Amino acid sequence: MSSTITKLSAPLTQAFDFQPSSELQITSTLNTLTQRLADFDTLTSALEYAAKGITGYNFYDAKGSLRSVLPYSLLRENARVLAKRLFGLNLLRGERVAIIADTSPEFIELFFACRYAGLIPFAMPVPVNLGSHAIYVQQLRGMLESGQASIALANIDYVGFLKEAAEHVESLQWVGTPAELGEFPIKDVDFQDNHPDETAYLQFTSGSTRASRGVVITERALMCNLQGIVRNGLEIKPNDRSASWLPFYHDMGLVGLVLAPMVTQISVDYLATRDFAIRPLQWLKIISRNRCTVAFSQPFGLKLCAMRVRDSDLKDLDLSCWRAAGIGAEMIKPGILRNFAERFASAGFSEHAFLPCYGLAESTLAVTFSKINEGCRSIQVDSKALIDRKIAVRIQAEGRKQSEFVNCGRPLPGHIVQIVNEAGEQVPEMMVGSVLVHGDSVMTGYFNNPEETNKALKSGNWLDTGDIGFLFEGDLYITGRRTDVIIVNGRNIRAQDIEELAEQQPEVRSREASAFGVSDEDGATTIVLVIECRLSAIAERQSLTTRLQQLVYMAFGVNCVVELVPPHTLPRTSSGKLSRFAARQGYIQRTNLDGQQLSAVESGDR
Amino acid sequence: MSETDYDQIVQLLCDRLADLSKTSKESISPETNLITQLSIDSIKLLGLIMEIEDAFDISIPINALTDIQTVHELAELIHKIKSAS
Repeated sequence: MSSTITKLSAPLTQAFDFQPSSELQITSTLNTLTQRLADFDTLTSALEYAAKGITGYNFYDAKGSLRSVLPYSLLRENARVLAKRLFGLNLLRGERVAIIADTSPEFIELFFACRYAGLIPFAMPVPVNLGSHAIYVQQLRGMLESGQASIALANIDYVGFLKEAAEHVESLQWVGTPAELGEFPIKDVDFQDNHPDETAYLQFTSGSTRASRGVVITERALMCNLQGIVRNGLEIKPNDRSASWLPFYHDMGLVGLVLAPMVTQISVDYLATRDFAIRPLQWLKIISRNRCTVAFSQPFGLKLCAMRVRDSDLKDLDLSCWRAAGIGAEMIKPGILRNFAERFASAGFSEHAFLPCYGLAESTLAVTFSKINEGCRSIQVDSKALIDRKIAVRIQAEGRKQSEFVNCGRPLPGHIVQIVNEAGEQVPEMMVGSVLVHGDSVMTGYFNNPEETNKALKSGNWLDTGDIGFLFEGDLYITGRRTDVIIVNGRNIRAQDIEELAEQQPEVRSREASAFGVSDEDGATTIVLVIECRLSAIAERQSLTTRLQQLVYMAFGVNCVVELVPPHTLPRTSSGKLSRFAARQGYIQRTNLDGQQLSAVESGDR
Repeated sequence: MSETDYDQIVQLLCDRLADLSKTSKESISPETNLITQLSIDSIKLLGLIMEIEDAFDISIPINALTDIQTVHELAELIHKIKSAS
């Protein structure tokens, strides 16, 4: 019990250890500096410029009070001092620094300190789930090992997890808090300029346990993507201001809402992801109060807002300032957007603000943007033709079963999107196939992982996104995500990770578990885990089912349906590999589901 | 630790959890596992935390939840935060 008290006292002390907000002033929206739109070689040169102005980052707490302010000028100063402390560790240029990225000024300072010192930072997640301690530590360890981190940092709330994860990670020379780093002596070494071809940072793509993959993003790829986002996607102007609750360890949070504002010298207001998830309206209140113009969310975030808002909240909100409501990171179901727009229309929200886009970490962040100020556009296609003939046939008449897909817009300048069939041949417009991307934003590969890199990067440096879609009049429509990723409530979960959890159970043999997602009409996804099982006793079967559900919950924070089937039920390919796609078809047939009935399926063994 | 406070917290938790998981209040005890027995998913959890924070005027640190699996553990956590504030 005393250990719990120690753990608890830390965040509590910290929670009260800040300046009273009355003394703090948010950074202004209008700058004293001529706006430059990401026309820099590197992140540090962009920060050197932004630091000449008066804009910057602002952090709000759960109650909506301003907790800390980090103008770009102060960020530059602090990051440069921290970089000189990092020099004291005698790391070589290009060594990796792992940082648990909570929504705090300290994370951003460390990130830029690494760049000034020629080191490569990567962000790691904060824990989110009940009972997830052991699995979270395992996730951290996977990233530390995969990124071969030389040092690792976390604030006082998370450093305990980090130290547990750091045991037996051989590359690590030092693990500590930003405060501890702050006590290191300043070593006065001159900064070397970073080169555009150097790696700027690694972006981990999912919180997987074993096979963590760090996407390598160079300064050039980053700046190329940022230019596309701020000039063509968002058309950023000097009077823009952003607000964000997106985690700093996700590509949309980091590139879109930390780096993009800095390279255009505009101010941002942050709310921690946890605080948003509990009280989503705080985000909208910040947008309303600070007259923010640009704010991104996954569809799931909008759904949370619409679910939680009460009529009495609406009269205090004025969202008419919000001109670019970027939507990305998961399949966009138009119904969620319509519902949000209806709910918040009386608060001045305009549906023209919706800005659907498509992207992935392997292409830095963004690939396509729809046209700004035009809202969410979609088309209806014949569901049967889509599945049977892989072709999108537009439907005008009522009656036929149809599917609606959102227009994700066109590729950023200098980028090409191509749709190919299974043979890798380009297909005409309206034909459904794999989405490939080419351009300067594409990653150079996964860090220290040639095998995965070769799977993702095809000849000529075409990135296979793994997503499925079609082009129509030059615009991209995504019809499905790759089968190896299940997206639940906006989080990407790798099917392989769930199967590995199952295979760690003594009753489950390897290659006898298959995980996939099934979605209902509203776009809500349920994870299904099918296990080939030899157990006959009801109690044993129940015990396995319960244990698997618990493990999946602790790892990913979601409930799942576990189905136990007799051996040799799961379909295999000629090489003996399980086919998740076929397993999913089989499950749908067995349970006789169609979309609407799905939610009625109870979890567990019956 | 004042027992009344702790008992009150358990009472309130059982009430809310019965509601959230659509089970009877009687079937929930301090030993009940939130994950396996009540299927409290992340969305229900967020709603529950909001209600707890509002009801007790506290802030629950996210890192503390990683060691919570039962009603008793959650009640104890709330009680500690409440006593410390």
